Amino acid sequence: MSDSPARRRITPASLPIENLRRRPFRTTALTVVVTILSVAFFGGSMLTLNLKEGLASMERRLGADLMVVPQATSSKAEALLTNGNPSTFYFTRDVAGQVSKADGIAEATSQTYIASLAAACCDEKLQIIGFNPSTDFVIEPWVASQYDKTLQRGEMIVGASVNVSVDGTVELYGRTWPVVAQLANTGTSLDNSAFISNDTVPQMVEASARVSHRAMPKEYADTAVSSVLIKVKEGYDAQTVAENIKRLNPEFASLGFVYPGGVTASTKTSLDTLTGYLAVFITALWIMGLIVLLAVFGSSVNERKKEFASLRIMGATRGMLVGIIIRESAMIGLFGGVIGVLASSLFIFPFSGYIGNRLQLPYLQVGLPAILAMMAITIVLATLVGMAASVLCVVRLGRPEAYLTLREGE
Amino acid sequence: MKNRILGGIVPIVLGALIAVGPQTFAHVCEVHEGKMPMACHYTAQAALGIGIVIAVLGLIALFVDGRIRAGINIAVALLGALVIAVPTVLIGVCKGAMMHCHMVTLPTLIVLGVLTIVFAAIDVALDARHAK
Repeated sequence: MSDSPARRRITPASLPIENLRRRPFRTTALTVVVTILSVAFFGGSMLTLNLKEGLASMERRLGADLMVVPQATSSKAEALLTNGNPSTFYFTRDVAGQVSKADGIAEATSQTYIASLAAACCDEKLQIIGFNPSTDFVIEPWVASQYDKTLQRGEMIVGASVNVSVDGTVELYGRTWPVVAQLANTGTSLDNSAFISNDTVPQMVEASARVSHRAMPKEYADTAVSSVLIKVKEGYDAQTVAENIKRLNPEFASLGFVYPGGVTASTKTSLDTLTGYLAVFITALWIMGLIVLLAVFGSSVNERKKEFASLRIMGATRGMLVGIIIRESAMIGLFGGVIGVLASSLFIFPFSGYIGNRLQLPYLQVGLPAILAMMAITIVLATLVGMAASVLCVVRLGRPEAYLTLREGE
Repeated sequence: MKNRILGGIVPIVLGALIAVGPQTFAHVCEVHEGKMPMACHYTAQAALGIGIVIAVLGLIALFVDGRIRAGINIAVALLGALVIAVPTVLIGVCKGAMMHCHMVTLPTLIVLGVLTIVFAAIDVALDARHAK
C-alpha cells in the first residue's frame, strides 16, 4: 500500500524533496535553467573534444612534409587531408621522376586520386587513392596495423565509412572489388576512401569508362600521378625543398605546393576559433543562468519567511534550515544536470556523423572513458552551481538579525 | 488540460514528424528507375505507417478520460520502441556511414523514438496518479 501525499510522513531528511514537490512550477523552472546550462556545457565540451580528437588523428595520418600537386589544385589536395569532397586531378606530364631528384628529399612517393561517381542508390562517392606500395611511406605505416601483406593488383583497402558487402567486396563502377582490410575511424576524409596499388589504377579507369564517363584519358591511365609526397631530409625545411624543386625546371614554378603541417596549422586555427566562440557562449550562458538562479533563490527567502519561522518554532536550528535550502538547490542542480546530459547525448551521439560532415573539419568521437568523465564533470558542476545559487539565501539566514527577519513572518 | 497536451498533442506532433521526416527533411536514398530499392526505402515506408498510427492515437487521446489516455500512451510508448527498432534491427538503412539515410534518417528516427517513449511514459505516470 503506497502512501498518499496527504498521509506521507515528512521528516527533516525528506523535507527538501517535499518542498520541491509542493512547488512544481518553481522546481520545473529552475530545473529547466540548470538543464539548459548542462546541455550547453556537455554539448560544447563534447564538440570540442571530438574536434581535437579529429585533429590529433589527422596529424597522426600525415606522414609527408610536402605535397607537390598540379597547378591550381592545391585547395583540392588540402581538402583530401581534412574533411573535404572527393576529387580527381593529375599531372599531364611525368614530373614525379624529376621532382624526386631535388636536393633535400629523403623519401618521395607518388599517389593518384580518382573521385568515384555516386551512381545507384547506395554506391557512394568515394575518394580512390592509388599508391605505390614499394615507395610509399604515408599510407603503409598505418595500414600495416591492420594489413601487413602487399596489396595485390585489383585488391582494395577501404576507410571506416565505406560500405563493404558481407562477402567482403565493394561495388564501384559496376564492378565488385575485393576488400582485404577496412581501416579504423580517423575522422577525416580518409574514412571515405579506397586505397589501391598504382597497378590497379588503369583497371579502375577502364571500369569507369565502361559505366559512365572515363575518370581520366586513356593515355594518362597507366602513368597518372596526382601528387608527389615528400619527406624532407634532416636539416631541411619543406619550404626550402619546394624552392629547390622550382629551381630544377622553370616550368615547376607553376606547380602547387601543399604543406601538410601548414594544413594542420590552419585547421587548428579554424578549430581554435570555433572552440573559442563556443567557450565564450557557454561562459556567458552560465553567468546568466547563475544570475537567474541566485535571483530566484534569493527572492524565495522573503517568500518563505513564514515557512522558516514555522520550522524554527517547531525546533529546527539555523543549521537545519541552511541544510534544507542547500539540499533543495543541490537536488535541482542534480536533476537538471542529469536531464541536460541525457538530452544532449540524445543529439550529440546519434548525429555525430552528420555533425562531422557539416563542420567539414576532422571530427572523431572520443572514447567511452572520456565521455563518462565529461558526463560526471557536467553533473557535478550543475549540482555545484545549484548549491552556489542558494548562497545568498544561506547568507541572509546566517545574519544575526535573522531571528527578527524570521519573526516578521510570524 | 495539462495531461491532454502531453498525452494528446505531443504524440500527434511526434507521430507527424516520424511519418513525414524520412520522406522530407531526413529523407532516405532515392530509388533509381530499374534498380531494387534499398533497406532505407522500406524503413521510410514503415516509419510512415507507424507515425500515422501514433498521431491518430494522440488525436483519440485528446477526447478520452485519464485511464484510457494512460492505456493509449502505453501503446504509443511501444510504438516509439518500434520506431527505434525499424531502422536499427528490423529493416535497417544503407550500411555506408556517409549515406544520407545512415547519417540523418537513422539518428532522426532514434531521437524521435526515444522522445515518443519518454513523453508517453511521463503521461502514463501522470494519468495513473490522477486516476487513483
